[in-house]
Amino acid sequence: MAADASWLHGKRVFAVSVGAGLADAVVDGVADLGAEVTRLGGDLDLASAASVAAGIDAAVAAHGAPDLVVLSVIPTAAMRPDAIDAMAEADWREAAIEGLRTTMRLLQALGPHMKPHGGAIVFVAPSLSLVGTPRMIALSTLLEGQRGLMKSVARQWGASGVTLNWIAAAPRALAPFDGVALAARPDAVTIALGRAPDPRTEIAPLLGYLGGDAGRAITGATLMLDGGEWMVP
Amino acid sequence: MSAMDWASARDLLAGRTAIVTGAGGGIGRGLACALGRVGAKVVVAVRRRTTGEETAALVRADGGEALVVEADVAKRAAIDALASETIAAYGGVDIVIHNASSALSGKTFALEDVNDGDWDEQCDTALAAPFHLAQVLFEPLRRSGRGRFIVLTSSQGLHGGAMNPVYTACKSAQRGFVKALAREWGPHGVTVNAVAPAALTDAARDYLARDPERAKAAAANFPLGRMGDVRDDIGAAVVAMCSDYWRYVTGQVVNVDGGYYTAL
Repeated sequence: MAADASWLHGKRVFAVSVGAGLADAVVDGVADLGAEVTRLGGDLDLASAASVAAGIDAAVAAHGAPDLVVLSVIPTAAMRPDAIDAMAEADWREAAIEGLRTTMRLLQALGPHMKPHGGAIVFVAPSLSLVGTPRMIALSTLLEGQRGLMKSVARQWGASGVTLNWIAAAPRALAPFDGVALAARPDAVTIALGRAPDPRTEIAPLLGYLGGDAGRAITGATLMLDGGEWMVP
Repeated sequence: MSAMDWASARDLLAGRTAIVTGAGGGIGRGLACALGRVGAKVVVAVRRRTTGEETAALVRADGGEALVVEADVAKRAAIDALASETIAAYGGVDIVIHNASSALSGKTFALEDVNDGDWDEQCDTALAAPFHLAQVLFEPLRRSGRGRFIVLTSSQGLHGGAMNPVYTACKSAQRGFVKALAREWGPHGVTVNAVAPAALTDAARDYLARDPERAKAAAANFPLGRMGDVRDDIGAAVVAMCSDYWRYVTGQVVNVDGGYYTAL
């Protein structure tokens, strides 16, 4: 089914990807919907709140304030499966605590540019934190922390017309998980559609909806795109 | 409201050793007193010995057994020492309850105003400490055969409280931690759960006493009409979770809040 390309036509989109690049294919699909996409991440200096803000400020100066931000912050340390008792403290800090801090800094940097005119921020993440995944405890911790932060900021910024939402996609739909051995059994429940969504043609349109005018009343939401696997309450 | 019937549960956790972090006051003190009442040997982990001794005195006054250990749970070395002292005193660990929370938890922050100090203070206690506790205490919990690992979280992490985004993020992160750890430790017979309490701590009582109208409005948010007593409501529920009655429950976030949060 073709998405409505008018949803993002002429919209400015910042695709901010730190670490694993989980949302790359989704962002390709966002560009298909007519958005002007600026990809950020590898060029951002994440060392401090000031350096993150400087990077976002520079992007806004070059391209204008974004209407939609696609956000994915997954430090590579979070993608390495390991038992918690074997995990180095430095890896835990990088994956769970610093990953969350970077997410906060990016939101802090984006706020001044988005709150004056409104806009949408959509996190793209794997759904595995909602059910918990053994040997990826740092990733589960990070993702749920980001999801909590998303809700809190959605409440703080709602009056400014900035929405924040969370797309929880089946890990198998996200290429960086191709080589990751997930300990959770893939057949624990029946997947209603029997397959994972295609990120470019089936996940990206949801970002088009959330980033367009039609999605302005949705904020703080978690939207499961896992083909009807976990059907969370 | 009828009084809590502690007598019928007197030996429910007899012979088991429970570590409670942040047990120098508030919910942690209520948990320690509740665990002591049902026969557990309680390790009162605190930053300041004076508050820990106050808690231990309450546990002992009820006929319970308590050991006070000074520990800044955000630091690995302190957790190592906590484990060593506990095992030296009692021979093992059956129950670990991470209740400690930053003093900034109740502070209001706009996201834009959060600095690195605010962040570190809250995340070290909320996210570094449970990592250290899990690493250091896994083996004793596994050997217990009845291992329980419980994290005190908050409904703020569920509904996305706006007051303090760092606190909300940390409490939500603890949910992810608990669910994943429960799956990892399940094959070893250790259950991992979280509790989201609504507790009438001394601080909450003082706050509400200054504003009766606010207290009345707050009570209306609870179907049971009140916030929970730290020992007889929150502590009693956690005691049940530590007992054999809850041995088949793991990976859950349990709201012990008088019906405040029902959106799940």
